[in-house]
Amino acid sequence: MGEPVGIIDQVLEVVAEIVEVDRAGLTEATVLAEIGWDSLAAVSFIAAADERFGKAVAPKRLATCVTVADLAAIIQQ
Amino acid sequence: MAPSAKGTVEDLAGRFGGADARKIADSTGVEERRLAPDGVCASDLCQEAGSRLLRELAWAPDSVDALVFVSQTADYALPATACGLQQRLGLAPSCAAFDVSLGCSGYVYGLWLAGALLQSRAARRVLLLAGDTMTRLVSPFDRATAPLFGDAGTATAIEGLPGGGPSWTFVLGTDGAGQAHLIVPAGRFRQASSEATRNRTEREGGNRRSDEDLFMDGAEVFAFTLREVPPLVASVLEQSGKTAADIDYVVFHQANQFMLRFLAKKIALPKEKVVLGLKQFGNTTCASIPLAMATELDARLMSGPATLLLAGFGVGWSWAAAVVECGPLSSIGCTVMES
Repeated sequence: MGEPVGIIDQVLEVVAEIVEVDRAGLTEATVLAEIGWDSLAAVSFIAAADERFGKAVAPKRLATCVTVADLAAIIQQ
Repeated sequence: MAPSAKGTVEDLAGRFGGADARKIADSTGVEERRLAPDGVCASDLCQEAGSRLLRELAWAPDSVDALVFVSQTADYALPATACGLQQRLGLAPSCAAFDVSLGCSGYVYGLWLAGALLQSRAARRVLLLAGDTMTRLVSPFDRATAPLFGDAGTATAIEGLPGGGPSWTFVLGTDGAGQAHLIVPAGRFRQASSEATRNRTEREGGNRRSDEDLFMDGAEVFAFTLREVPPLVASVLEQSGKTAADIDYVVFHQANQFMLRFLAKKIALPKEKVVLGLKQFGNTTCASIPLAMATELDARLMSGPATLLLAGFGVGWSWAAAVVECGPLSSIGCTVMES
């Protein structure tokens, strides 16, 4: 049995799917504005947070996120 | 009733770039929108739909006891557009006529009012007109709204049956805390029209609009929908004494395809029961539920009775859901108004 996938890894996977980039090219420090994160991506992230993590994301909080780590922090909260 | 002029993804590509226009269309599910030409108002689209419906049903205009006009794009600040429509449709002076200024939830509110009018015996026949020309309130340079909204007008005829008809169940609600997320901030009385409010400037995400254009925070709208609509559906089902299995079709306000598909999945509604009618018309606000019924369920509703769950939600925030027995209808359809 492998290690359970951590929240950070799952968020990286979600972000890669949303902006359609290679997961390997993303890290916690990746700046969202540099990978084409836009309003559609924000909506997709709210959907993914609800579906995969059972989290209701506040759009105001989401709007303050700069990096992938910031998104992960919302999920971990 | 829809205008003949179309807005397409190709038109949007000129403003937002081809890749972005396609990405937005794939998410919203909107390939075309109908655009009312200058001088054509929501009331004109509704009037055409209403005249046609009265003719097809062979309802004498003076047999209509009440006219309810649901719209956020009225002809004038005053008088109520319903008053002008009473005269233009040739309805009797004894007809009650009034406007309801609601958007996404407006059609279900209109049905609720129509049902209440019948139940109170204030009316035996009600003409419910719901329509908007939202493209007039949208900046063509705002990618959050320009690719989404279309114009349409609808008419629904509701008649009380001797001894009462099938029971309808409604659940309604409001949360004005959300009003800032879907709003035309200026141009009326809270913030009057001025050169400054008419000036289109660059806003979030490179969108360009004025304070007299529609602003929509898509993330807030989506979060509101996820929060309110699943309990709304559960509540109207519970109050009607039915389960999802008893419902033949669910017609949500046609907000956008991504949202409707996600909602259907979250609420565990079978995909084939959830009506999608956005592709050719876009989001037509208060007209979207009856328009989707006319384009997607016309044959089914003409052929026999169906149990429908209708749910409108959005601008306000305002929401309303109904479980109604509907059909077989004497007339249903969608026509294009030639300009």
